[in-house]
Amino acid sequence: MEREKVTTLYLGPQHPGITGNMMVRLKLKGDTIVGARTEVGYLHRGFEKLQEKRNWLQSFTILCRFCVPEPDPVEEAYALAVELLEGREVPERAKYIRVLVLELARMASYLLWFGGQSGSAGLYTMGQWSVGDRNYILDLFEDITGGRVYHMFIWPGGVRRDLPKGFKDKAMKVMDYFEKRLEEYDTLMFENSIFQKRAQGVGIIDKEKAVEWGVVGPVLRGCGIKSDIRIDDPYEIYGELYEKGVFEVPAFEGGDVWSRALVRRFEIRQSINIIRYVLDNIPDGEFYNKIPNPHKWKIAKGDAYSRVEATRGEVGFFVASDGSQYPRRTHFRGAAYVHAITLLENVLIGANVADVSFIMNSLGTCPPEIER
Amino acid sequence: MEEIKNKIYQRLTEAFPEITEHKLDFPYNRLDVKIPKNKVPAILFYLKDEMGFKHLVHITCVDWIEEEKFELIFIVWSPKEKVKVFVRTELDRNNPVMDNIDMIWRQANTYERELREMFGIQFEGLVAPKEFILEDWDDIPPMRRDFDTEAYAKKRFFERPGREDAKDVRQTIAERTGESLPDFAKKYSR
Repeated sequence: MEREKVTTLYLGPQHPGITGNMMVRLKLKGDTIVGARTEVGYLHRGFEKLQEKRNWLQSFTILCRFCVPEPDPVEEAYALAVELLEGREVPERAKYIRVLVLELARMASYLLWFGGQSGSAGLYTMGQWSVGDRNYILDLFEDITGGRVYHMFIWPGGVRRDLPKGFKDKAMKVMDYFEKRLEEYDTLMFENSIFQKRAQGVGIIDKEKAVEWGVVGPVLRGCGIKSDIRIDDPYEIYGELYEKGVFEVPAFEGGDVWSRALVRRFEIRQSINIIRYVLDNIPDGEFYNKIPNPHKWKIAKGDAYSRVEATRGEVGFFVASDGSQYPRRTHFRGAAYVHAITLLENVLIGANVADVSFIMNSLGTCPPEIER
Repeated sequence: MEEIKNKIYQRLTEAFPEITEHKLDFPYNRLDVKIPKNKVPAILFYLKDEMGFKHLVHITCVDWIEEEKFELIFIVWSPKEKVKVFVRTELDRNNPVMDNIDMIWRQANTYERELREMFGIQFEGLVAPKEFILEDWDDIPPMRRDFDTEAYAKKRFFERPGREDAKDVRQTIAERTGESLPDFAKKYSR
């Protein structure tokens, strides 16, 4: 019998299907993958080392670069960690504004993700629609924060500005628009037989092993496990919103690309619910609990770890202070740190070369989060 | 919450009398225990298999250079009890050696690779390619506190000729070589 030849294929670091600068080294038999190895190191900028030389506020210009499509959860994670470390309270209104910003960021990130996921299956129209629609959310961000992509809006003690006048009407209009639009997305993407055939039964993750493997976020919910930091380890006002039934956490059995796509589709709907509720019920009052002079702001020795649910899964910040005005150590935990390395290497085995970027997108890979 | 934390702490101390320090009085769902480094794999195995702490949240290291030690912190989370446990241990800064734990959680492999590269902690039995993020690194591990980023950059890289000051590059080069600036450049030059 003739021996089968194993070919090595380097996918990335620059490749339209890869979600950033990252390389996957594939071992192939024919076009079936028999081995995969993730190689990183094309984006390293030493952010955590830089943060050691910056005071507790100066880090925020760096933080939003940790994951470009979705900077707000990272800011929230750092602000929460500093607040836990110091024991600082946040005004009620600031909590509502934070939730509003985080949910808008979640919608914007999912819309961008729709483009990546359907684009890697060849459905480019979907990407053009959803990325175009994302601009309406970026307009709202511009109103609230002054920036479209990088906001630097959430900081320890609250948020930087109050909501502008007339914001509620504008935001409600955008939400109405998205409600109608989501049905059109369903027709274009989820009822499309190409997407169904490509997504169903591809990139399956074992439900029994998922938690131990470190799978988090929409990928875990795509395995049928209802797990979300917003309800398991609630921060801000998510705990009470969930108890009041404002939002639900969708979970679908299957563990394949299809069920992960469904989870994300239904989460946009839940985000709309949360944004509507927050706009209707936001209390009056202060939006910012004044911090001391940032250059003399010292925090007592100790450490803290905060957890935030981003669209990729759990992100968190470990922050340790030595009693000075600079952090002794900050360490970021991104969901992609687990998803793109140990998980991806295992899920890819047995898949087709054409499915690599498809699976990679569905796992929510974000290379800047790995290297920082 | 206090009851659950006390119950977990009771079970841990019964199984591991080696626990040296603990802290329970956090206003949120967190519990800290400190244990000698040779007991860390055992306590992590126990937490995962016997007590339902299935999810490894984080492995991190803090460099306490004044006390000549590294503090290694393993954070684990129980989806059932909704409590996170910080398992802390200390390593000698001059000879940081630790047992590998990637047979408990396979994703620990990635965290250990990063700590090996950034702090120089040797994990015994870790099977992974030597380089992770850095390439051809020839200095002390960069996340240690005594690593000076600025000095390293000055030693390793050089300024492009004409870029030493904030002046217009064309003007600097023209002054150095004694040439006059071309007309189009004069318009924009400071």
